[in-house]
This record gives sequence, C-alpha cells and structure tokens, in this order.
Amino acid sequence: MKLLQVKGDTFVFELDKQEKILLFELLKLYPLVPLAHHRLSKAADPKELAPAQQLLEEAVAEQRQENKRQLLAMLNDPQRFEPVERGFRLHLTGPQIEWLLQVLNDLRVGSWVILGEPDYDDLKHLKLALQNPRYFLTMEISGQFQALLLHALDGNA
Amino acid sequence: MPVTEEPVVLPDIDQDEQSDSRESLEPGYLVVCWDDPVNLMDYVTRVFQIVFGWPKQKAEFHMLQVHNQGKSVLARESLERAEHYVHQLHRFTLHATMERDA
Repeated sequence: MKLLQVKGDTFVFELDKQEKILLFELLKLYPLVPLAHHRLSKAADPKELAPAQQLLEEAVAEQRQENKRQLLAMLNDPQRFEPVERGFRLHLTGPQIEWLLQVLNDLRVGSWVILGEPDYDDLKHLKLALQNPRYFLTMEISGQFQALLLHALDGNA
Repeated sequence: MPVTEEPVVLPDIDQDEQSDSRESLEPGYLVVCWDDPVNLMDYVTRVFQIVFGWPKQKAEFHMLQVHNQGKSVLARESLERAEHYVHQLHRFTLHATMERDA
C-alpha cells in the first residue's frame, strides 16, 4: 500500500488485492485491548477511584462500539475501495485517517497485551513470534499500516 | 533537548461555588504518560498534539521524555480535567494515568 496522491482533503492510497484482504482481516479483529487494561491510576487506592475507573471503562466501551459501527460502514462502503487495474484505490480524508490510526493502534496494543506485554528486548526474539504468530503478526502488520498512514499525514501537514 | 514552556492551564472554574467541591477546583492531579514498547513514537507525538493542542515540537519533547525517562508529566489539573485528559489518551490506547500531586 502506498500514498498515490492528495486531492484537496482526500488522501488516495493504492493497494493490491492481497493488501486489501490483509487490511480487512486485520480490521475484523477490532477491538483487541481488554477493557481492564485501561487503568485510571497507578498509585491511587482502587477503592477510592472505583467509580471513576468504571466511568473510564464505560467511556472506552462506548467509543469502541462507535468505532466498530464506523468500521463496518467503511468495510461495506463500495465507494471506499475503488477497483483499478492493479488492485484498489482507498480514499480517506485526514480525520478518517486519524480515526483509522486509533483502530489500528488498538489492534497493535491489544496484540501486545495478548502476547504478555513483552518488553523491548523480548519483542526482538523470534521465540515470541513462534509462540503466538497470529498476534505477533497482527501487532507487526498494524504497526506497518500505522507507519504508512502517519507518514502520509506528516508529509502533508 | 529543546526548551519548551510548561502548559498554561486554565481550569474551567464555575462561578457558582456552591455546586463545585473545593477539590474539583484545585489543580492537584498529574496526567502522566508511561512508556511501553508498542506505541509508535510518531503516533504518540500525534496524539499529544490532538489531545492537548500542542505544537509538534512540544509534543515531540514529551514523547521523547516518555521514551527516554519512562514517563512524562503532561499536565497538572483538577480532578475532573485530569480525568478528561486520561479518558482522551485512553481513547488513543496510550498508557496514561492520573496521579495525585504530592
């Protein structure tokens, strides 16, 4: 997948058929981060902050529901992926890219949580990839798509 | 390391003092972002820009502080506003918490 052009406020990416399948399969996994992963405080007494913690989890759950709805709409929108000879052209506005980055980051962080929250050194070990290739690849591929989208945004700031 | 100014924090103080607790009006909570090996550096910078409205240079300064020192204090706020910022940062799946300012 690569940025083809920026037309007004719309970014046009070109991706081949395999990349589209990969992106779709990836996005179908959303959300991955467990709600309990979202902690309001490290040091505070959990009892003291229990209502606020519950509020945070409810807010995140609500946001995810909305993201999931938008995601399904995006994946089912026939206009979103324009068929061309070599694959597809994906049309996204800046705010849609920002939103997609959030979704992809949930997949990246969620995979990392499922992998046991490995540290910097452990992430480099092949052993981790072999133990759980599904989520290792989800983490890596989400990161690749994120880097591409961030580069597109940064180059057109 | 670039020199950046501390954020100017103007809490929304309701004039009706009867309806707000003293605690809610006093900035006393730190909004902290913690390092992890999974959030991309450019993504973290972008989130700081969006959530706090910071220029890129300041957002990068705090991102590098998170990366190099393990954490960065992003703001000192009242309970309600600290909660608001932590909610926003969690929307973007950053590892952020609010801690009482000692």
